Amino acid sequence: MWSRTIKNKSWLWLTVVLTAGPIVLGIGYAFAYSFGLTGLLNDGFTIEHWQKTITYTPFWKSLFFSFVIAILTVFIACSLALGIALRFRHIWKQHQALLYLPLTIPSIVMAFFVFQLLSKAGFLSRLLNRIGITSGIEGFPDLVNDNYGLGILFAHICMATPFFSILFLQVYQNERIQLFNQLSATLGASKMDRLRKVVLPIILQKSFPAIILYFIFSFGSYEIPLLLGSQSPQMISVFTIQKLQRYNLADIPIAYVSCIIYSIFIAAIVILSSRLLMYQQMKKG
Amino acid sequence: MKRSISISIIGFIAFFPILLLAFLSLSEQWMFPNILPDRLASGPWKLLLTGKSELLYSLLLSVGISLLVAVVVTIFSFFASRQIAYSPIGKKILWLTYFPYVFAPVLLGAILQYYFIRYGMSGKISGVLLGQFFITFPYGIIFFISFWNARIRSFEDLVSTLGGNPFQKYKQVLFPIARPAISLVFFQTFLISWFDYGLTMLIGIGQVQTLPIKVFQYVNSANMNHAAAASLLLILPPVILLWINKKYVLTRWQM
Repeated sequence: MWSRTIKNKSWLWLTVVLTAGPIVLGIGYAFAYSFGLTGLLNDGFTIEHWQKTITYTPFWKSLFFSFVIAILTVFIACSLALGIALRFRHIWKQHQALLYLPLTIPSIVMAFFVFQLLSKAGFLSRLLNRIGITSGIEGFPDLVNDNYGLGILFAHICMATPFFSILFLQVYQNERIQLFNQLSATLGASKMDRLRKVVLPIILQKSFPAIILYFIFSFGSYEIPLLLGSQSPQMISVFTIQKLQRYNLADIPIAYVSCIIYSIFIAAIVILSSRLLMYQQMKKG
Repeated sequence: MKRSISISIIGFIAFFPILLLAFLSLSEQWMFPNILPDRLASGPWKLLLTGKSELLYSLLLSVGISLLVAVVVTIFSFFASRQIAYSPIGKKILWLTYFPYVFAPVLLGAILQYYFIRYGMSGKISGVLLGQFFITFPYGIIFFISFWNARIRSFEDLVSTLGGNPFQKYKQVLFPIARPAISLVFFQTFLISWFDYGLTMLIGIGQVQTLPIKVFQYVNSANMNHAAAASLLLILPPVILLWINKKYVLTRWQM
C-alpha cells in the first residue's frame, strides 16, 4: 500500500503544475513583454521599457505609497489591537462575536462603507453638520479620494484591528502570558516593565508571521484604493492595472515591469522575514 | 461601569457598518444634511424577491461559482496534500504552494490575462473558475497539510494491516476523522472565491457579474441603495458561517 502511494506521484506533479505553473507562465510572459520579445508594439529585444519604468517617478511613488500605507496599517492596527486585547482579556469570551463580526466584511464592502461614512456628503459629515461643528458639505475635509490616502488607511485599519485583536487575545491565552505576568509582578517588575519586557515581546514574536502576511495583503490591496484612492499617488495594484488597461499600448510594458518589481519586493520581504524567524528560533535553541 | 461602556462602544462600532448599509439599501432618497433617509422603500429587496433584479442573477452566479470552486479545491487539495505530506520531496513542493502569495490576486490575473485571452477563456465563467482555482488550491493544500500527521499515518497502516482496502480506508477511517478539516477548507475556499473582485474583474472582463463586481458597478453608477443591498448579500454567507462556527471565518487570515 505504502509503496503504491510513494510510486504514484500524479497528485504531486499536478500540485507543481497548478501552483508554480501559472506563476512561471505569468512571470515568463511579463518578462518577455517587458524585454520587447512579445506584444503588439514590440519588435525585438530591448531594455527600453525597464529603463523607462525605473526612471518613471509615478511608479516609485506608487510603490512607496503602498509601502507606507501597509506599514501604517499594520502599526496602527496592531497598537489598537494590543490596547483592546489587554483591556478586554478577562471578558472577551462573552463578547467575542463583536470582534468576529467585522471579519465578515470583504474589502469592497468595507471600501463602500468607508466611502458612505467619510465622503463630503457622508454620514460623519451630516452628523458634524447637525451638531454645528462643520457648515455644509464644503466645511467637511477631504477624507476619501484624498492625496494622503486617509480613507484607504482608515478602511485598512477597520479591517485589520479586529483580526489582530482576536489574534493577540488567542496568543495571550495560548502562551499563558497571564502566568508570566503574575510571576514578573511577584518578582517586583513594574506594570510598564511587565508590558515592555514580558507581554509585548511574547505577543509580537508569536504573531510575527501573521503580521507579515497582513503587511503583504495591505501592500497589494486593490479594491479599497480603487474606490477610496486618488489619481496620484496610486497604490501599486491600482497603478499596474490602470497601465495595463489603458488605451495607450505603450503603457502595457510598464505594467509588466511593475508586476515583476512588485513580486521581487514581496519575495524579498518573505525571505527576509522567514530568515529572521528561523534565526530567532535558532537563538532560542 | 467603564468597561461596559467600552464594550457598548465596540459593539456599536462592530454593528454600525451593517446598520448603515441596511438603511442605505432601504432609502429611496437620502439628501444632505439629513441624518436619516428622507423616504424609506424596499426597492432593491422587492426587485430581488420578485426575481426582477439583476442582483438575483449575480447572487445565484456567485453561489454557483463559489460552491464549485470550494468543492473541486477541497477534493483536489485533500488528495494532493496527502501525497505531499508523505513524499520525501514534499517540503520542497509545499514551498511552491506559497508562490501565488507573492502576487496579489489582481496582479496574478494581470500576468495571466494573456493566456486566458489566447485560450478563449476571457470573459467566461470557465475562465473565472480556473483563475479562482489557482488562488484557492494552494490555500487548500496549506490548510490540509497539518492534518496528515504521524497519528493519521499510523491509522492508515493499521487499516492496511487489518486487510482494509483503499476504499474502506477513506470511507470508514480517513473521511470521518478529516471531517472538521474538510469543512474548514470547504468554507474557507468558498469565502475566498465569494469575496474575490480583482481576479474576476480581470479575467471575467465585466461579463461574469458576480456580487463583488455588481457592488462596484452600482457604486460607479451612483446606484447606492442597490450597492448597499448587494453589499449586504455579500456579507450574509460569512455571517451565517460565523454563527455556525467562528473558526470558519478567522482561519483564512491566520494561515
